[in-house]
Amino acid sequence: MNVVRVTHHFQASPERVFDAWLDPRTAGKWLFATPTGQMVRVEIDARIGGRWILVDRRNGEDVEHSGEYLEIDRSRRLVFTFGVPKYSSEITEVTIEIEPSESGCDLTLTQTAVPDEYLKSNEKGWLGILVGLAENIAE
Amino acid sequence: MLRTLAAGEQNIGELAAPFRMSFAAASKHVKVLEGAGLVRRHVQGRRHVCRIQPGPLAAADEWLHSYRRLWTEQLDRLDSLLQAEDRVQSKGKGPKP
Repeated sequence: MNVVRVTHHFQASPERVFDAWLDPRTAGKWLFATPTGQMVRVEIDARIGGRWILVDRRNGEDVEHSGEYLEIDRSRRLVFTFGVPKYSSEITEVTIEIEPSESGCDLTLTQTAVPDEYLKSNEKGWLGILVGLAENIAE
Repeated sequence: MLRTLAAGEQNIGELAAPFRMSFAAASKHVKVLEGAGLVRRHVQGRRHVCRIQPGPLAAADEWLHSYRRLWTEQLDRLDSLLQAEDRVQSKGKGPKP
């Protein structure tokens, strides 16, 4: 499976780095922002199952980035789905993990592809997982 | 197995050898790779010759590369923003004239 992992050290507290993802005023300044674009819409419903939308206007074209929060554990762990519908129907899952360090914190971002069959129907997706599990046990 | 195939064509027996796999087990494994579009098998007489299909692997590589670049840029931008906020704050806290 495709997995992207990126780490970054910040000279800021874990709380500040964590909140930068969920506070609309801060997130709108950097998240999916481009140097020449203009952030025209920032909506963050920071609860499990809540949606987020960031729209960056690039040369008059609105590019929407959106998803849903799956886990929120302040200053430690944040998991959300992520898609850019304009460019692709692909939905990926992004996990942010933040560990305090002596001079600030270390952030690890992991992104994984979400198999299509899980998205088409949640029920079907779970059934697939259970069938897979049953097969594993049977072996 | 894919790493071995990246070096060139191999038949099933040659692919199985380093893994101490049976011919049948190796053949089953190749079938999975074929199903994923990563490997193609040609039958030459009694030999089943396998060849890697670079297309899907290149696409996967491109996927990883573009997202890694995106997130590296995002995190750099967040870092700059937080540092800029710190500079403004330390100015505000400075001694009053």
